[in-house]
Amino acid sequence: MEAKHGDTIAAALYRAGRRIFSRSFKYHRPRGLLCVSGKCPNCLMNVDGVPNVRTCITPVREGMKVRAQNAFPSLDTDFLSITQRFDWLMPVGWYYKTFTHPAMWHAAEPVIRKAAGLGEVCSTAQTEYEHAWMHADTAVIGGGWSGIHAAQAAAERGEEVVLIDDQPTLGGQLRYRKRAEEIPGDLISRLEGAANVRILKCSYCFGLYEGNLLGVLQFNPHSSAAERLIHLRARHIVVATGAYETPLLFPNNDLVGVMLSTGVQRLLHLYGVTPGTRAVVVGTASTADEVCVDLRDAGAEIVATVEPGQIVTATGPGRVRGIRTQTGAFSCDLIVICGPRVPDVGLVAQAGGKLEWSAPHQAFLPKVMPAHVSVVGEATGEMPANANIPLSCSNRAFVCLCSDVSGKDLCDGIAEGFDQIETLKRYSTVTMGPCQGRMCQLSSIGVCAGQTGRSIADTGVTTSRPPNPSVTLGALAGPRHHPIRRTPMHYAHERLGACWMDMGDWRRPRYYKNSPAADENESVLFEYKIVRESVGIIDVSTLGKLDVRGKDSGQLLDRVYTHRFSDLKPGRVRYALMCDEGGIILDDGTISRLKDDHYFVTTTSGNLDFVQQWLEWYLAGTGWDVHICNVTAGYGAMNLAGPKSRDVLRKLTDCTLTSDAFPYMACREAKVGGIPATLLRIGFVGETGWEIHCPAESAEELWQKLLDAGHEFGIRPFGVEAQRLLRLEKRHVIVGVDTDALTNPYEAGMGWAVKLDKADFVGKALLSHAAKQPGRERLVGFVLRGTAVPKDGAAVVVDGLAAGRVTSSRYSPAQMAAVGLAWVRTSKAQEGASIQVRVDGTLANARVTLQPFYDAEGVRLRQ
Amino acid sequence: MSFLVPCPNCGRRSVYEFRFGGEVRQAPASDAPPDAWMDYRFNRVNAAGVQTEWWFHRSGCQQWLLAVRNTVSNEVLESFLPGEKEH
Repeated sequence: MEAKHGDTIAAALYRAGRRIFSRSFKYHRPRGLLCVSGKCPNCLMNVDGVPNVRTCITPVREGMKVRAQNAFPSLDTDFLSITQRFDWLMPVGWYYKTFTHPAMWHAAEPVIRKAAGLGEVCSTAQTEYEHAWMHADTAVIGGGWSGIHAAQAAAERGEEVVLIDDQPTLGGQLRYRKRAEEIPGDLISRLEGAANVRILKCSYCFGLYEGNLLGVLQFNPHSSAAERLIHLRARHIVVATGAYETPLLFPNNDLVGVMLSTGVQRLLHLYGVTPGTRAVVVGTASTADEVCVDLRDAGAEIVATVEPGQIVTATGPGRVRGIRTQTGAFSCDLIVICGPRVPDVGLVAQAGGKLEWSAPHQAFLPKVMPAHVSVVGEATGEMPANANIPLSCSNRAFVCLCSDVSGKDLCDGIAEGFDQIETLKRYSTVTMGPCQGRMCQLSSIGVCAGQTGRSIADTGVTTSRPPNPSVTLGALAGPRHHPIRRTPMHYAHERLGACWMDMGDWRRPRYYKNSPAADENESVLFEYKIVRESVGIIDVSTLGKLDVRGKDSGQLLDRVYTHRFSDLKPGRVRYALMCDEGGIILDDGTISRLKDDHYFVTTTSGNLDFVQQWLEWYLAGTGWDVHICNVTAGYGAMNLAGPKSRDVLRKLTDCTLTSDAFPYMACREAKVGGIPATLLRIGFVGETGWEIHCPAESAEELWQKLLDAGHEFGIRPFGVEAQRLLRLEKRHVIVGVDTDALTNPYEAGMGWAVKLDKADFVGKALLSHAAKQPGRERLVGFVLRGTAVPKDGAAVVVDGLAAGRVTSSRYSPAQMAAVGLAWVRTSKAQEGASIQVRVDGTLANARVTLQPFYDAEGVRLRQ
Repeated sequence: MSFLVPCPNCGRRSVYEFRFGGEVRQAPASDAPPDAWMDYRFNRVNAAGVQTEWWFHRSGCQQWLLAVRNTVSNEVLESFLPGEKEH
């Protein structure tokens, strides 16, 4: 259908003749436009797949698809409106009284969900969300008369100003109400042209958070984003949100054709739409005049003006056909409500300010402001006082339009004992719908006060919480970016046929498909064989790496790690174990001493940040001469391993690689393939090998040179899975896999790495204590009878009782059986002890061993 | 949580730039009994009120700092580098 430029969806639909915009939540009563300002739930529709769109404030766009919600088969004829005939079966709190057995609720819930509700989430809607950050000296919320003047004053003081308004044009209610005040034409254009003023239109604040952080939602900041969430930090916040009109409570107050006077004025003056031909205006003499003039000017007839206290009922059904008052009945097609005006200060209350009931104003006014927040204009109560109006307890006088809660429902709830406003709210769900109490808070407090004989001040308000107005989860989540870390050799792995896995943020090759037909098991065993028999190469760039320099470096490392490092000779490498004050293993790695005052520390891939922070903490305030630098991303690293690894490496470096010149657990700096590198002769996988670190920008080149040099020896790349199997056969522990948050080194068989004769180090006291205890559990190896592999975490069973758990397990070619590491009770942690392990749903027999499953003497490493 | 932490090196920054390092506590002597060390490792005062605590500026200078914060209002009263003041 057609629309005019500047229309909202609702205005265009209304002009084309649509009157029913939604069906109510519970009774499916037809609802029409009421507030026309985005504050009530009556105009919610599905737009381009997005549910619950407030069509009365959403501008039309070419090609928009708009659908009704919660109405079957259509908005004009909804079968479920028959529900209202059974309202006597569904009084307030009826869920709690009816579904007293779980089975009943189970059966009823799907039916109720289909029958009652709002929109449906569309899983294919492609909505883009953005996040932005802004800072301001003064943030002004509300672009009406007071807000514009506040922004102007702040701008003239030289401040950085942000002005936030929820409409497409500034001016607030002056856009549709003739008032004494007018905004000088050039004031708005001066603001818009000022360099220190930023104006956010079609934006609203949904919350004020700690540190003066405002949450702002901006619609359609540009064509590629539907919503932008702005984190706005301001030194000072001015609330200039004005006051909004709320409905009156009387029987059939929710009929299509009952509209707020400001809603009528918006339709007339913003969109050029006349909402009716024969109108009854409900209001006092002073409040009704303005809208009567507007309607007459638009050609509508004012049938009567009625005082609010005189209404008996509006008459329908469905759409307004008339109104009955104490002084007579009138037929009409439009009932205009001049309702009480509520200062829009929810943000103040939510941020810790206090509101107080003012009897002269008949409104809740801000009394105590949060720090750095001020309020100006009608939001302070500078407005004509509201009339004191009676409230109805009819079952057709709707307090809460969002949830179909009537005056009678509230009276019944109070009679049942829910007579405090907080409990009444929770029992009846009044104020808990999409309007978040905007339309119904005043009436609900009025009914509660009236029925309990308390004053409104004593009844009080319910707690305000953000977000108010509501925000979509998509906007809070923001853009769908998922950071990935790639090693320098990433694309080389792609070309080699890598099958990827995620390790934290990192992408690593799990294995390489050596042929299209090979499955994971075959590929991993193939890679394993190559490493054991000739030579393989794995990318270990993800290792955490720290460069530690300064003459006190050894002292710091001695203090933090369990082993000694101040006596490590330059050119040597040592296993490094780190524990916390409780003696619990935190991390492990290697420490190489390159020079007297220069160490190279490696950590597990996931713990680098933690280790760096931990070392810095023990350094803090000591005055020691130590400098720690995170070089993880600066170096690529690869492990060349296998009996032929020396033959390969010898082709690319002048460094002498014999075991005399370069023994196991030594380090050298040398050029490899012309690239400066640090070589560590260590052996996680149990074969002769070198861990080669070089600058990241040359890592791919070095990787390729090693592959080329190894070609004649049949070199292949190997991935994480093969590495896991190789290390498991050597019984090398992986911290965080084989150990957990309760493991100390003695239980894990790593007591040899703890030097209790050192001066004080982290964990010394409790490690000394643990060294003397037998402990509850030990980490042991086991060999299964058979080849079925238990899952990581599988239960260990002894004499029919749970006695431990498996931490890692694989099929071992060296043992030709399934092997693994497991925690078992200390009494069973003996060489040759019998245990059972749960595999494939049955218990398999296994033998405990404290030896590695391959090369127990460690001969191959030292070749 | 959206307060600002005043880093002595970098100025006031969003709390999400930092890693919280716990309340300041006095470590027991190295020869203190195991119970004293277990208490230090696992127990906390966890005050509802003003406490002195550690923060690491991981997205900034990558240094540790100490802050005095009211844990109820999240108002940070002061901050300083280790060694600058008694803590």
